[in-house]
Amino acid sequence: MITAQAVPLKWGTSAAGKARRSRRGGSTVARPHRLAIGRTPAVAAVRAASWDLRIFGLAIAAIAFSFALAVVYVSQTTALSVAGYEVQKLAAQRDELRRQISLLDVQSARLDSPARIAADAQRLGMVHARYVPLIPAQPLIAKR
Amino acid sequence: MQTVRPGRLRLLFALFAVASLVLAGRLAYWQTFGRAALLARATDQVRSDLVVAAQRGVIRDRNGAILATTVQLRSLYALPSRIPDKAVAAQELGVLLGRDPAPIRALLESGAEWLYVQRWLPEEAASAIAALNIPGLGFQTEPKRLYPNDAIGAAVLGFVNDDGQGVNGVEGYYDAMLRGTDGRLVVERDPANRDLAVGLREAVAPRDGADLTLTIDLVAQTAAERELAAAMKKEHATSGSILVVDPADGSIRALASAPTYDPSAVRLADPEALRDRAIAWPYEPGSTMKAVTIAAALNEHLVRPSDSYTDVGYTIVGGRRLNNALGKAYGPTTVSQILERSLNAGAAWVGTKVGAQRLGDYFHLFGFGRPTEVDLAGEVSGTVRPLAEWYPVDVGTASFGQGVSVTPLQLAMAYAAIANGGTLYRPYVVASRRDADGEHRTAPVAVSHAITPDTAATLRSMLLSTVDIGIAHNAAIAGFSVAGKTGTAQIAGPDGSYVDDLYVSSFAGFFPADDPKYVVLVVLDKPDSRLLGTVTATDAFKGVAQDILRYARIQPDRRP
Repeated sequence: MITAQAVPLKWGTSAAGKARRSRRGGSTVARPHRLAIGRTPAVAAVRAASWDLRIFGLAIAAIAFSFALAVVYVSQTTALSVAGYEVQKLAAQRDELRRQISLLDVQSARLDSPARIAADAQRLGMVHARYVPLIPAQPLIAKR
Repeated sequence: MQTVRPGRLRLLFALFAVASLVLAGRLAYWQTFGRAALLARATDQVRSDLVVAAQRGVIRDRNGAILATTVQLRSLYALPSRIPDKAVAAQELGVLLGRDPAPIRALLESGAEWLYVQRWLPEEAASAIAALNIPGLGFQTEPKRLYPNDAIGAAVLGFVNDDGQGVNGVEGYYDAMLRGTDGRLVVERDPANRDLAVGLREAVAPRDGADLTLTIDLVAQTAAERELAAAMKKEHATSGSILVVDPADGSIRALASAPTYDPSAVRLADPEALRDRAIAWPYEPGSTMKAVTIAAALNEHLVRPSDSYTDVGYTIVGGRRLNNALGKAYGPTTVSQILERSLNAGAAWVGTKVGAQRLGDYFHLFGFGRPTEVDLAGEVSGTVRPLAEWYPVDVGTASFGQGVSVTPLQLAMAYAAIANGGTLYRPYVVASRRDADGEHRTAPVAVSHAITPDTAATLRSMLLSTVDIGIAHNAAIAGFSVAGKTGTAQIAGPDGSYVDDLYVSSFAGFFPADDPKYVVLVVLDKPDSRLLGTVTATDAFKGVAQDILRYARIQPDRRP
């Protein structure tokens, strides 16, 4: 004889459920009859088990998803930190290059300085020309 | 078998219970009331609040050559306790820094935890020291204002002190504009002091200072500095100044002042050298002022160039006798010849015709007695006393430039007005500034119309004669027309009386005389040659003028 007690129905284990069933006038003996008419206990058991499996699967999926989410978040954060360090390194490189450029600009300006060129020319024995003969443009044009 | 008494167990339990309660209470406190303080302390350990310094603007000449710029240079610091062998380190540093190792060693053994060994190192020295890899030595970059042309243009540029504040010249006048606005960066850092990409980050970007382009031409400036230095050396003059001005708009092309200094090494400079003679040296101009007196008389139609008087070597004004230089008499003399011969008596004769009131008015129209409002820090106004304070003789002495004081810049601008047809411009040195909003150009400002174009043209031809056949013939340049006037002024002593045998020698001129492109003023204080100091001044004028003529490719307007 299969009794309802052998089937772990979801609602069957609580005291309140038992009380409800007692109040409806039914006994645990009547239940096999109803089950026998609608569906077999085996099918019900399988269905219940399947439901439990689904809940279990859902829970596992949720946990796995949360874990994956956490892994993604951590990996993204780590990647961001690494990228941040990389950015900082590149910014330092950029600043150093800018510094080098400004130093080269200063060096170039020093080399272009007329006073330095004059001093170098003087060292080479050149003297400042006091008079440079110039030919006015007008007569030349007239001759053409 | 020994058993534990229940009373002891209860006591132990009670102790644990109390301890747990205390800990729980403490935990609750830190989670509630003490949370903010705890959080602040934790945040302070990782957060850094930095001022991001704005870059000071670059100053360039009119052709884009860098005159002043800020560069991040490496400063060498030491943590002496971490240096294994201080004697060896000092020896090696001494060689690379070009310093005596003994003071460096004393510095390292001073007991300080952290100190600068040397700030703002040359790049080569910094790299060489870094290559030594001495433990306990490190570098920190610091901004340093550099002037690639050394002392050239120091008077125009001014300098930046150790606090980063601009002093004198353009650096002082435009300090706020050049300096910009500092930014701020609040960021969390890891134990290695690196910024964290994830975390708190608040940034206010710095606003860099504006870049300035000056009206100064480095070639003209170099020529002016060279000629001034040569004249100072030859005459052992105590000070001097050379100005080059574009009469068309009042822009200053060169401004030299002596003694001078290196703006990169101001600490070594004589404090007196920091004064820009061109704008902060009021002196009695002497005969260069005669052109202004005659301009007033011509403009008021009181005289013509051909009008004459009989020169007896002196004139009496206000009961005082005013002599020509050396007391020489010239007989019949025209107004043009007053300039050609630089006659004090003639200038006083013209001055009395103009009258004190009008002469004072023209002095003001030509910009004397008030600052020119040039965009340089430290300008003084010179002195033209109020008319109510003039003695009768003053109209005579002021006519030939004694009893009034002017700055070299004021006189140069007055000659620029004569050169350009009568318009007095406000002088300026900053042609444009470039900031985040774009480029802003300086517009020339006409301050007054001192004389009519006809008067200016007449006066130009008179000043041309002064160089061609007159006292200033030494200023003549082959192939070019030059107009100008010499000046030899007595110097007033502390008691107000003139000192014997001490003079200010000067020459103010412009070229080409018919269509002036440049005005050049040379002033020398107390030259050894005394009355002949003007010869050195005209030599300096020629030196500057010839360089500019060649450089600006100005065509000769005369046959050489």
